[in-house]
Amino acid sequence: MIRIEATGLRATIQDRGRFGHLREGVPPSGPADPAAFAAAQALVGNDVDAAAIEIVGDAFAFRCDDRRIVAVTGRDVALRARDLVPGWTAAFARPGERFTVLCGERSRFAYLAVSGGIATEPILGSRSAYLPAGLGHALRAGETLPLGISRLDVERAGLSADSPDYDTGQIRAITGPHAQRFTDEADSLFFSSEFRVEPASDRMGTRLSGPRIAAREGEILTTGVVAGAVQIPPGGAPIVLLAEHQATGGYPVIATVITADLGVVAQRLPGERLRFTRVDRDRAVAALRGARATFDAMA
Amino acid sequence: MPAYASVVVRFDPLRLLPGDAEREVIRLAKTHGSLAPERGREVEIPTRYDGPDLLETAERSKLTVEELVAFHSGRAYRAYFLGFLPGFAYCGVLDPRILAPRLVRPRERVPAGSVAVADGQTSIYPFDSPGGWRLIGRTDVPVFDSTREPPALIRPGDRVRFVAL
Repeated sequence: MIRIEATGLRATIQDRGRFGHLREGVPPSGPADPAAFAAAQALVGNDVDAAAIEIVGDAFAFRCDDRRIVAVTGRDVALRARDLVPGWTAAFARPGERFTVLCGERSRFAYLAVSGGIATEPILGSRSAYLPAGLGHALRAGETLPLGISRLDVERAGLSADSPDYDTGQIRAITGPHAQRFTDEADSLFFSSEFRVEPASDRMGTRLSGPRIAAREGEILTTGVVAGAVQIPPGGAPIVLLAEHQATGGYPVIATVITADLGVVAQRLPGERLRFTRVDRDRAVAALRGARATFDAMA
Repeated sequence: MPAYASVVVRFDPLRLLPGDAEREVIRLAKTHGSLAPERGREVEIPTRYDGPDLLETAERSKLTVEELVAFHSGRAYRAYFLGFLPGFAYCGVLDPRILAPRLVRPRERVPAGSVAVADGQTSIYPFDSPGGWRLIGRTDVPVFDSTREPPALIRPGDRVRFVAL
């Protein structure tokens, strides 16, 4: 069992996502930063289907009632117990020991993984919270959550993973499904310009401002969308869809951010800048394979 | 994930290379050709036509409220696909005499159960949410319930009728 003593601004349970009910209009949810989520799970020895806690804002605090391995990942994060444990590092949690998740100024989404995983009852095949439809809930101070059986491997304490470079604004993207909806000029403007992250960004998507990217005249028929899709609404300000995106979208998609870089987009703060670099599908897959291999090596 | 004229197919690119996935999808599409549309189930939505945009939509369409209600409830709609929110079914097509462009300024909060029209389509808001469709009525029927299997009341291919109360 894990007891939540403080929640920060908002904390929710997330697993990889709820992909079985997209055709019923249920957004996938899951972690806004999938790479940080996967690293946290790998550090504590959980399998890929386990659930962890996504935390926004200081200062989430918890205790486990038995011995566990814990890890926090994300941008600019750390864990405080008796000692300070850096982010992206596994730590041994003694029974009843209090831990606080520290989210620095550049932090947006932090992931707390506990060996054994958060073992709440899945809803529609997933433990991921989707608050607008009342699937799961925002965690409350004082509540306790069941944990799965832990393969407790004390040797893991001190194990660390490399954090991606969150301070880079270079985001890799492949050509989007509606590329023919954009002129060559609009396409090269998109791939050569700098964009600024807007404050209205959230788990649904990162909203950008910058040069106006115009699609050709005419509308597209509403179609299914994926995380990473860069939509261009009529105003010309791109939106990068993230974990909590709607199942369908009616705006043309100029590019799709590669899975390996999704978290770097999600973790950018309002006012920070980013640029898109075009890569081909092979490089997108190679980047994902590289990230996945690192985690597999920790298993 | 089906929509009007597309299907999204999800796959793990580390287990199936994108090029192979593409070839397989093309092969499947070719071997199956076109399928006869599913008949779908009949779903009835008891509706009180008292939405905040009812009168304005009737006036815009140069119809009386009674005519608008008769046109909206007078036909069976096909549910094309679900999106936007869990259980939100895009149903069509609306009688062309009902003129209902999307609101220029979407509402910040549309109540759950609102029966709405926009751009030749009609639907029911499953949850309180922002929304840009015109609200002509409401229903007490829960259109999405995560404890139900399947959770969505309306599924792609179903035929939907609104019954005036």
